[in-house]
Amino acid sequence: MKDISISVRNVSKDFKVPVKGHSNTLQERFLNPFQKTQYREFVALKDLSFDIKKGEFFSVIGPNGVGKSTLLKIVSGIYLPDKGEIDVDGMLVPFLELGVGFNPDLTARENVYLNGTILGLTKRELDEYIDEIFRFAELTDFADMSIKNFSSGMAVRLAFSIAIKVKSDILVLDEVLAVGDAEFQKKCYDYFDRIKGKKSILYVSHALASVEKYSDRVLWLKEDRTYEIGDPKTIVNKYQNAV
Amino acid sequence: MNRNDIDLYKQFVKTIFKMRYKGSLLGFFWVLLKPFFMFLILFFIFSSTAGQVGNLTSKQYAVYLLSGLIIYTFFNEGIIWGMNSIMERAGLIVKINFKREIVVISALTMALINFCINLLIIAVIGLVLNLSFSLVGVSYIFLICLTMFLGMYGIAFFTSIWMVYVRDLAHIMELVLQLMFYASAVFFPIEFIPEQYRFIVKFNPIAIFIQSVREALINQNITNLNFVLGSLAVSLLLVLIGSFYFKKNILKVAEHF
Repeated sequence: MKDISISVRNVSKDFKVPVKGHSNTLQERFLNPFQKTQYREFVALKDLSFDIKKGEFFSVIGPNGVGKSTLLKIVSGIYLPDKGEIDVDGMLVPFLELGVGFNPDLTARENVYLNGTILGLTKRELDEYIDEIFRFAELTDFADMSIKNFSSGMAVRLAFSIAIKVKSDILVLDEVLAVGDAEFQKKCYDYFDRIKGKKSILYVSHALASVEKYSDRVLWLKEDRTYEIGDPKTIVNKYQNAV
Repeated sequence: MNRNDIDLYKQFVKTIFKMRYKGSLLGFFWVLLKPFFMFLILFFIFSSTAGQVGNLTSKQYAVYLLSGLIIYTFFNEGIIWGMNSIMERAGLIVKINFKREIVVISALTMALINFCINLLIIAVIGLVLNLSFSLVGVSYIFLICLTMFLGMYGIAFFTSIWMVYVRDLAHIMELVLQLMFYASAVFFPIEFIPEQYRFIVKFNPIAIFIQSVREALINQNITNLNFVLGSLAVSLLLVLIGSFYFKKNILKVAEHF
């Protein structure tokens, strides 16, 4: 366990998807007291095991709906697995979305404090970083403007500038590159270069070029709920041939 | 509790506070104005019919009514906001792994802040009416308020989770609270209730809290001390059991939002 950051052991996860217009109210049960709500079992993950070593860049690829995001949420401690175990050694911060908790009615400065503390920074640390965050996001002149007046690009830049200040041993990243323009993606890649080898990273992306370039190992989740782990080049090639 | 948890708690409270009165002209003053107008309405309805209400002079009735309204509002807001807290933050909870308890306690803190502001109204009206406050009386009011706060915190650990599964809870709770409003003798003297129904007020904890606050304010008397201390113990127990229940279930509800 010493050099392992994340250990996933035989993890399975099913979701119960209600078949007919089910709602979380008693109304339906009153109206149809004899009808049992029918569920369709949806298997998201089946008997999945892997380890991520300290400092390893570990990517997950696969088509939509194979449980990539579910896996990230289970590892991040947001969902509970039905079966199996997860061990996480170190401080883990998930980025399933940039700018989590951003409130459009608050000013950029207020949002930095809100989002920053949600991501685990203290107020004192944010006091120290705030000028740098705005400088890096190139938004110094907009610090006291409401986020709702920001373009989506500006909001993402701000969110990213906060994100790279977060202290963590393990990062969980879901499709973070999908949101920005070319310049933003370049910033992301620079950041990857900087942290590679220093933090353990669990990365989900459809940008296969970046997966191949940065990953140490790749996990390919397949539609039949089997999976394959291996070196980036081999797995990405296989995946591309399969599609 | 580490440094970040405390900072996050402050951030949440600040944000709720800013958002609640944002965009309204008078903003924060609604915290003061709402109970004050409620007070004025009820006061004029009841005291205009006669020089006095029950055995109370209109001056006593003013304090009687105000303290009832303020304690009841605290209860109402604490229960509702605590219950809704997790649902309201669902978007955040499915994205990030911060300590979920902070969401619940921030909602209750908001109710507590409102309550403290409302106490200021009592203080002002008390001064206008030339009421004398005693230190013991005021401390007793704070003890009651602490008891209620802890009790509602404990309850919110359960209701905030249940709310995710059964959304009807919002409507059910609304009715229960409406019933509690009348069963707590908030705006009428207890003598107005027929003898055979008075037990409702006698055994209703909120009514007992309200009566104790009134006694402390109007007569500087400490009443129902044993009951209050007992409730404090029960409330602490509720928080303990509640936080255990909450920890066990919060991860399970995440996929039901």
